[in-house]
Amino acid sequence: MRQISTSTKRLTIALVAAIIVVGGLSVVRELNAPPELVEDDAALMSPEERAFLAEFHRFLTKDHDIDYRVITVKDSGDIDQFAVKRFEKLFAKSSRSATGRGLLLVVDPVQDRVRLEVSQTLEGAFPDAFIAYVEQRQMVPFFRTGRIADGVLASTELIAMRAQNATRNAGFEDEPWATTSAGGGAVAAARIGEGPEQIPVPPSPATAPPTNTPQQALQAYFDAMGARNASPDLAFYTPATRQMLSGWTITRAQMDSVVKTYRRCNAEPVKSDPTSSLAVIRYPIAERSCAPFFFQNIDGAWALDLTIMQQAIRFGRTNAWRFDQSVDHPYRFAFADWRFDPSGFPSRAR
Amino acid sequence: MANLNEIDPNGHAERIGRMERDGLLTASQAAQLRESVQPRGAEDITTSLRARWPARWIGVFLVAIAVVALGAALTGSGGGPTTVQDVSSALNQPGGVGEMNATVSKLIAVAILLIVPLLLWAVLHNSLVAKEENVFEAWAQTESNFQRRADLVPALVESVTRFIQHESETLTDIAQERSQATGRLAQAVDELINTQKQAAEVLRANPELLIENQEKLAQLFAGQTSVGRSVGNLFAVVEAYPDLRSADQFLELQAQLEGTENRINVARQRFNDAVGDFNGTMRKLPWSLVASAGRFQRKAYFQSEEDARRAPDINFN
Repeated sequence: MRQISTSTKRLTIALVAAIIVVGGLSVVRELNAPPELVEDDAALMSPEERAFLAEFHRFLTKDHDIDYRVITVKDSGDIDQFAVKRFEKLFAKSSRSATGRGLLLVVDPVQDRVRLEVSQTLEGAFPDAFIAYVEQRQMVPFFRTGRIADGVLASTELIAMRAQNATRNAGFEDEPWATTSAGGGAVAAARIGEGPEQIPVPPSPATAPPTNTPQQALQAYFDAMGARNASPDLAFYTPATRQMLSGWTITRAQMDSVVKTYRRCNAEPVKSDPTSSLAVIRYPIAERSCAPFFFQNIDGAWALDLTIMQQAIRFGRTNAWRFDQSVDHPYRFAFADWRFDPSGFPSRAR
Repeated sequence: MANLNEIDPNGHAERIGRMERDGLLTASQAAQLRESVQPRGAEDITTSLRARWPARWIGVFLVAIAVVALGAALTGSGGGPTTVQDVSSALNQPGGVGEMNATVSKLIAVAILLIVPLLLWAVLHNSLVAKEENVFEAWAQTESNFQRRADLVPALVESVTRFIQHESETLTDIAQERSQATGRLAQAVDELINTQKQAAEVLRANPELLIENQEKLAQLFAGQTSVGRSVGNLFAVVEAYPDLRSADQFLELQAQLEGTENRINVARQRFNDAVGDFNGTMRKLPWSLVASAGRFQRKAYFQSEEDARRAPDINFN
């Protein structure tokens, strides 16, 4: 009887000790756990969207040492002050960047405002005007249709591109004293759920631009993007492309980005299929951010086939294009002389 | 021969001259604007405030104490070399104090009575200096943000006045209502140039003791608040012109000015925090003794509560 009582006592002590140890460890783990990259207190995103965004931002830290956090909050009060104080709190203790490169996006659906706060180390690469451009010309158009995560993601793409350029050119100004925010960044009306933005369509020329060759069709496309013409009904799109674009959010920043990217690209001669009904304009492998364009010949005029491009072409973190190998498409004939790695990146000529 | 960038590093003189030549500004407006963007002299505001006497004298005192202590130690050892060392005198005798111990005791006494208080004094003094340095840094940040805004104003003025000129030239049959709005735009520009000039005068007139004079700092804050309000007012009037408002170049300018306004607010708060820390420490014992002996001056705050309520609400969206 006495023996049973002793073993019970021992068992109880062991259990209590185990509970204390496990509890203590979980508290320690909680205290040491890195803060989340996306804190969605206002519940504007699905768990999948949050996870995807966090993953994307982790790559931004890995590639450019930029710690980009996102907070949605139900009511931030003065969003400018909220952002700068939260920035101090978050980045002073747990910055993931070794060089103090921090970004904090605050989305406040109650006040319908968004603010992107920038650490002083990033002010040179990301001046206020750039941040305002990212917000107003790229992020907010998605917010207008209720696509919060997509808007943030689209802004991250621009930030990553800018970071790449900064790395290629003068680099970042990494100063140990400049890891906090001095109030840099920009605030904008978020316009959540206001409906798609109506980008004014520039007046059409008296005669439609000729599209007798794929090059002419491509030039007409670049001209339209340069004029920020987001209309889906342009003559140089295939009917399927027009249908696809009619439901899309096309931002001014995306159109600007097309023009800026392809300004540096050197097109190779057009490659046509044996029936001359399909054509491809591609760029040298070394020009990794210059994705190829696909064309269809419809009644003697060449039209841009963005639908297949949208299905078959993907862009990596460094903005290099690749084929989605799971998508079969009729334009592969133009790449018979190239090799592709298993991920679909063109590696070298055969 | 002087480089153009040295004469006009921000291109203000060239820009203002161009606006004057193109008839966008009157001679008087050009002069006002030119004067308002002159940066304050390169003199470091903190130099005169930093020149405090105790730091130097503390050093002198410490050296003197060290010399005295060394002298005491040397004279205390006594006697020349002897062939056979007689250590009996150095040994402690019952009830007596040995010669060696007496020397050590003197040194310890000197250290306790003089060096330790002086070291303590130096530590307290240095902590006050560090806090005062934080105030200077915060002030420099605030001032550079004022200058940053001043540098942006000529570009804003040019952008708006060119638009006014374009409106007047192209719309010959300009409607009465539109004409009045253009007049309001011109008036807002004029007000901005005026307030900017006045604010620059306050900043230039009291460069040295500004942060130790509550009244002068309040004047400066009022002047800078007026500039912020004028900028906000100008943007409010621009709202009536979608062509101007939605132009990329104008949006860029707006973003820069809005960013600068936010930086001014952040810098102002950090300055007040630094001043609060310094002033608070200065009033506590034993720092208050060091502060009064070191002629540290209480620093002025940017008035926050009431003025913040009256501060311009610049919302360019």
